[in-house]
Formats: sequence, structure tokens, C-alpha cells
Amino acid sequence: MRASLRLVELAGPVGLVLLAALVGTTVSRSNEIYFINALLAVSIVVALYTFIGNSGVLSFGHISFVAVGAWTAGVLSVPQDEKPALMPYLFGFLRDTTVGNVESLALAALVGGVFALLVGLPLMRLSGLAAGIATFAVLEITNNVLRYWEKIGPGLTTFSSVPETTDLLQATVAALVVIGAAFAYQRSRYGRQLRAAREDPAAARAVGISIYRQRLGAFVLSGALAGLAGGLYVHFLPINADVVYLDLTFITLAMLVIGGITSLWGAVVGALAVSALDSVLANAENGIDLFGTTVDLRPGTRIVVVSALMALVLILRPGGLTGGRELSLPRLGRSRGVEG
Amino acid sequence: MSGPLASGLTEFVERATELQVQVDAISLGAIFALMAVGIGLVFGVLRLINFAYGQLIMAGGFALAFASEQGWSVWVGIALCGVVVLALSLVMERAVFRPLRGQSPAVMLIATFAVAFLLQSIALLWFGPLGKTAASLATLNQTVSVGGVEIRKIAIVAIVAAAVCLGLLLLLLERTAVGLHMRAAAMDFHTARLVGVRANRVSGAAVLASGVLAAVVAVLLTVQFPTVTPTFALRETIIVLAGVVVGGMTRLVSATLGGFAIGYVSGVLGAALPTEQSQYLPSFVFGLVILVLLLRPEGLFARGPRTVERV
Amino acid sequence: MSSPALAVRDLTVAYGGVSAVRGLSLTVDAGEIVGLIGPNGAGKSTTLHAIMGVVPLAAGEVSLGGRPLTGLAPEEIARAGVALVPEGRRLFGELTVEENLRLGLAARRDGEGDGDPLAEVLELFPVLEEFRARRAGVLSGGQQQQLAIARALVARPSVLLLDEPSLGLAPAIVDLVFSTLRTIRERGLAILLVEQRAQRTVALADRTHVLTNGELRLTLTASDATDTERLVAAYLS
Repeated sequence: MRASLRLVELAGPVGLVLLAALVGTTVSRSNEIYFINALLAVSIVVALYTFIGNSGVLSFGHISFVAVGAWTAGVLSVPQDEKPALMPYLFGFLRDTTVGNVESLALAALVGGVFALLVGLPLMRLSGLAAGIATFAVLEITNNVLRYWEKIGPGLTTFSSVPETTDLLQATVAALVVIGAAFAYQRSRYGRQLRAAREDPAAARAVGISIYRQRLGAFVLSGALAGLAGGLYVHFLPINADVVYLDLTFITLAMLVIGGITSLWGAVVGALAVSALDSVLANAENGIDLFGTTVDLRPGTRIVVVSALMALVLILRPGGLTGGRELSLPRLGRSRGVEG
Repeated sequence: MSGPLASGLTEFVERATELQVQVDAISLGAIFALMAVGIGLVFGVLRLINFAYGQLIMAGGFALAFASEQGWSVWVGIALCGVVVLALSLVMERAVFRPLRGQSPAVMLIATFAVAFLLQSIALLWFGPLGKTAASLATLNQTVSVGGVEIRKIAIVAIVAAAVCLGLLLLLLERTAVGLHMRAAAMDFHTARLVGVRANRVSGAAVLASGVLAAVVAVLLTVQFPTVTPTFALRETIIVLAGVVVGGMTRLVSATLGGFAIGYVSGVLGAALPTEQSQYLPSFVFGLVILVLLLRPEGLFARGPRTVERV
Repeated sequence: MSSPALAVRDLTVAYGGVSAVRGLSLTVDAGEIVGLIGPNGAGKSTTLHAIMGVVPLAAGEVSLGGRPLTGLAPEEIARAGVALVPEGRRLFGELTVEENLRLGLAARRDGEGDGDPLAEVLELFPVLEEFRARRAGVLSGGQQQQLAIARALVARPSVLLLDEPSLGLAPAIVDLVFSTLRTIRERGLAILLVEQRAQRTVALADRTHVLTNGELRLTLTASDATDTERLVAAYLS
């Protein structure tokens, strides 16, 4: 009984992702990219949630892990013979190594996790404002180094010739893997300890929970998941250092906040809801017919709407759309959207 | 081995100690100090880091550019800049800061992050990515010769303006009732309210004073960088935020020193380091931020125990 | 009959479903000291916080000279004429004695008037005049307590609330504080005094309520001062 109730927590997010993927198969090729984009957003936001949601500590730095994941998969996937022309200053071992699609994604996750471990070892001692600023500093440093250090990537130029292997299927599978990992973690002993520490740090310490270690564990896992998402990203679009920087940090945080920071369900709902809105607005910026009238929004409208929405949610409903709770059967029966 | 290093160092020191470089660095430090005070004032009273501070400056820049394109005089432009920045500050205070009072620092940080993006994207929608140019202020960017050294007029104006602004702010804080109330609220907001200090009034006053400084900074920055784009002042704000944290958020003096120091150091290093090293300046600066947060979380120039997380 | 300076009627305060104060009623008239004693956690401080608007009322009403205060923010209540001397004094240690006193002016309704607006309280507490320019943090405990009372009086309140003003003070200083309260009473203030020192409070106050578990159970007058301990103990057992 309890176990089946718990499975609803997993079934909700999984069902929503599958639904999005199914709808995605019915649309035209040109619209399919919106669905792939939305599923990648699910991966990144769930990765963010794995740390922020469980620990209650703010991170502005997770897009760094997306970025190093993208760099890893991108650099290692460019065909051997094109590397000298595209990235002439690469380290020898990077120039001479080229791997397949799946390996590149696995390495992206690995590098994301290792980078998160290196960053987290000192930083997980911080919390509150200090953690927010320090993780922001990590984002700045990562972006700065990726921009200019041409021994590890294309520097300021855009990745090119990376095989575009990320399709609807891969994006869906990845989103499910990320959700599965996040769910397994939050149900595990470690995840429960970290959530307990979030609610009451003093009590958690009193029963012998090392908050530092638990935070570090969540940080590394979420870094690996974010790295994986970054790998998928570079196989999806030709990106450069500016793509995996402030704007992506903002939009993914917005998704998490709008959905509800403290639940997996909130992360998935937020990612898909904001992506859907974003896609509609992006289409509207190109002019679409809506209920008989042509809506033609000026380019840039969508980010205005999304940021206004995020500010409004934070002011009016700090728990997000889902109130930060998991989906559960009794709740489905009750009237939705009631918050204390 | 030591040959190239030593000559590189000598070259660096020679560049760094040039009067022109020093004046420029001090003026950058002065502008950053003003921004640091603007951010620190609001933080002191509301315990809120205003990520959207740079967008206030950006709005002021657009006001100046607009006035310039209309052919209005410099003074009308400056007045318009002041009106726009102050109005926006007050709207921000009423619509965002007040409803967020009492929320956790993290929620407030994300909220102002959202406001920053909102304002930036509105500017993008309105003026496009290329922005506008404030040509009428360019004369201030010319140089004067001081003892054979070319020094930009704006550098001197910035240093004087910063000194005047900080002096006036000191008078406000030390000599007026509302200044006393602001200082008390920064130390202990709860008790300040119990003795009758009006929360809305002090937070309004802090936001207004911070807005005045943003308007001054908008003028000073627009003179030096006349092309105003939606990301105008964004980099500067991020660096100043880092400087404020490094200096110490809890005291206005330490926050100001932190802002000045990061501006001055950036100015000197940016001018004196060869390009292949100066491009990593942000990494150096933010690495320092992390180091300070780990070793001295209360800030380099702060004294006494850390009180940021106090509720 | 005119309204009492301070009237609390059926006050109930709840923290997370547990009521800390239940159905408490009391009045304080101008020129009167009313004591409130009871064991730790009985709800004494909570009552003062509720009057000041710091914690919300679950039920009941607080009024000042007949004017309801319910729902006002703390600073509005302070400006309406209620001054609190908080537990632990809560001075601004980094500000000078004078600046702490000037903060009290924030709640004064009739403006600063002519001359030194602080003259009145400095006369009452001469030691503060002497240390006027010092930081409040360096004063002794007794001096700090005088400063806290003075800061409250600067606002010229009609009601003065004190939360354990004798806490941690030497006996001689406690005498000073209590005699000051007597002087202030003569000036027509209404004083609500929360204390741990039961016997001294009963002796000083016009009447003293005993609060246990959030409810008023017993009221003592000055004539009970000599047997306070026995009366309270008999009641609590």
C-alpha cells in the first residue's frame, strides 16, 4: 500500500514526460525541436532539483556542470579529421581521442560529477547567501575559462561538426534516466537524511547526520545529471559558451521555482509548463493564428513573460505551482492548489 | 628562466604605476564604490541583495541616450535619468521588496534575479540588442593634459562625484533622524520597529538613496561607454556584488571598501596585464571571492562576528 | 466611566496550534502599576508581544484609551503611545547613548518641541547625561537598563510595558529601577510590569496577576506582599 503510494510520486513525473514525448511524435519536424528542448529542460531542472530541492541550499552554479558536460561530449565527438581545423590548440589527448555517442554522454556525466565533487569539497560548507554567491562565482569562472582556454575546446567560437544525435527518443530516455536517478536518490537513506537536515539542521546533527557529506553527495549526483544534460545539449544544437551561462541559469531556476523547488513533481511540471509557454510565445514571435486572430509578438516577449511569471510566483506563491509537494493519490482526489 | 619573468614583472609594475593607469583605476574604484554603497544600503535595511541594481543603471543609461537622441541638453538628460531611475527604484520597492520582506535570503536573491532578467528583457524588447547611443555626453570623455600626462576628464569627474555622494550620504546617515532610523534598522530591524521606526519609511529611504546613487553611476558609466545596450552595467554589477561580499556585507563601510578595492584592482590589472592574462581576470576575481567566503565569510574589512544569516 | 489606558480582553495567542495565552483579560489605568508574574513559559512575554503587535492574536482585543490596536504593526502601536522595554534590553550597542535615546523620538506623537527633547529623561537618569556620547554597548548592565527605560520614556507613551527589567541586575540596581518605576507612575503613566521577582513586584504594584499555563488564575494586592511566596505556592500546588 505504502509502496504503491510512493510509486505515484515516480509515476506522475514519468507519465508527464512520456505524454510530452508522445505528443512530440505527432508534430511536424520543425516543431519537434520544441519538444526535444522541453525534455532537455526537464533533465537540467531535475538535476538542479536533486541538489537545491533536497538540500534547501541555493546554487547558481549548476549550469557550469551542464557546460563542462557539453564541452566534454562536444570535444570528444567532433570527427578526428576535423579537429585540427576547428580546434587547433587542443591538448594532445583531446585531439587524438574521439568517442561514440553513448560514450560521450557517459563521459559528460562523469566529468560533470567529478567537477561537482572538486567544487563541492570546499563549497558545501557554505549555506544561505554565501552559498548563492560562491556558486555564482563558480559559474563565472567556468564561463571565463571555457571562453578563453582553447586547449580544452573551441573557446569563443561555436561548436560545429558535433554529430546531432539528440533526437526525441534520446531526450526522452535521458529525461527518464535523470528522473529515475533523482527519485532513487530522494527515496534512499542519503536523500532522506538530507531532506531531514533541510527541515531541521540542528536535529539532524543531533542524530549524527553529517550535513556536509550529504550535501556533497547530492551535489555530485546533480552535477553528473547536469553534465549528462550538457552532453545531450551539444549533440542537439551548435552551442557556444554564452548558451550555457546566465540565460540558461535564469530560465532553469525559473522553471524550478515556478514548479515548486522542493518536489520532483514540481521540477518536472515547472520545466514542461515553462517550456510549453516559451514555445507558444516563440511561435507567436514569428506570428501564429490564435482563435482566428493573428498574434504577432515582438522578439523577446517570451523572456519578459517568463521572468515576470517567475517574479510573480515568488511574491504570491513561494511554494510554486505544485506547492512544492509530490504528486499523491489522496491529493489527486482533493481540490488542487490549496496551500496553507 | 628568471629573465623573461623578471622583465615581465618590471613591465607590469611600470605600466601599473603610470599616473594615467592609476587615475583610471581609482575612478573605476570610485564608481564601483558608489554601486557597492547602493547595494549595501538596501541590504542593510532589507537583508536583500538586489541583483537588479545594474538594471536600474541600465535604465538610467537608456534615459540619457534617449535624451541625447532627442537633441535635449545634457542637463535635461541627467534630470530624466534621475527621474527614471528613482521611479523604477520605488516601483521595485513597492512591488517586489515589500512583499518579500521576511522571506529567506535565498528566495529574495532569486526574486531579484528574476526582476533583473525582466528589466533586461523589457529593454531588449524595447530598444533591441544594439541599444542606443548617448552621444551628447561624449565631451566629458576627452582628455586633459596634467603635467604631460593625458587624463580623461570623466575620471576626475567620477572621483569627485563619488567623494561628494559619499560625503552627502554620510551626512544623511549621521545627522538626520531618518539616517539614524536606517542605521538602527540595519542593526536590528525588529527592535527598531518596536521603538517606533516605520519599516516602510526606512526601506523606502534606503531604496531611494540607493536609487540616487544608481542614477549618478548611470551618468558616469554612460559617459565612458556611450553605447547603452540591455546588458549595460550587468558585468559591473556582478563584479561589484562580488566586491561587496568580499569586503563584508554587514557594514556599509566594509561593503564600500570592497567595491572600491575590486574596481581599483580590476582597473590596474586590466590595464597592466598582457591580454592573454587579463582575459582571465574574472576567474581571478571570482576565485578570490570564493576564497574569502571560505576563509573569512564575514568579509575582509568586516569586524566582529558574522551577522548576515541572523533573523 | 472613561476607558482604561490599556485594556486587554479575552486575549488568546496560539503558536502552531498550541495556545500560549488563553482568554487573558486585564486593564491598567493611568497612574497605576499592574504586575504580571508566573513561572517561565507561562505566557508573560507572549502577552506583551501580543500587545505590541509582534505576534498575531488568535482571539480577543487590545485597546488603548478605548481605541482598538488589533491588527496594527508594531511601529504603529509604538506611535499610538505604547512603549516596550524589551527583555534583555535590546539596545543598539554600536550606537551612542544619545542616538539610542533619539531613536525613542521615532514614536513621539507631539513632535520634538523646543529645546532638548531628551532633557526630561536625562533629568530622570543623570548617569545617561554623563555618558551621552558613549557607545551603549560599553555601559554596565544597570546603566543599560536605565537607558532602555529612558528610550521608552522619550516617546512620552501613555502605557509602558516592561519585560523583566530586573533580570541579571545587582540588588542595589534593582532598587533603583523599582524606585524609578514609582516615580514614573506618579507622572500618570500606566505601567504593565512583567517580572520574576514575585514579592517585590507585588509590593510595588497596585495589583499583580499570576499567570500559569497561559491563564490568569490569581490576583494579589500590595497587602499580600509579605505572604506572596506562600500564596503563590499554595495556589500552584
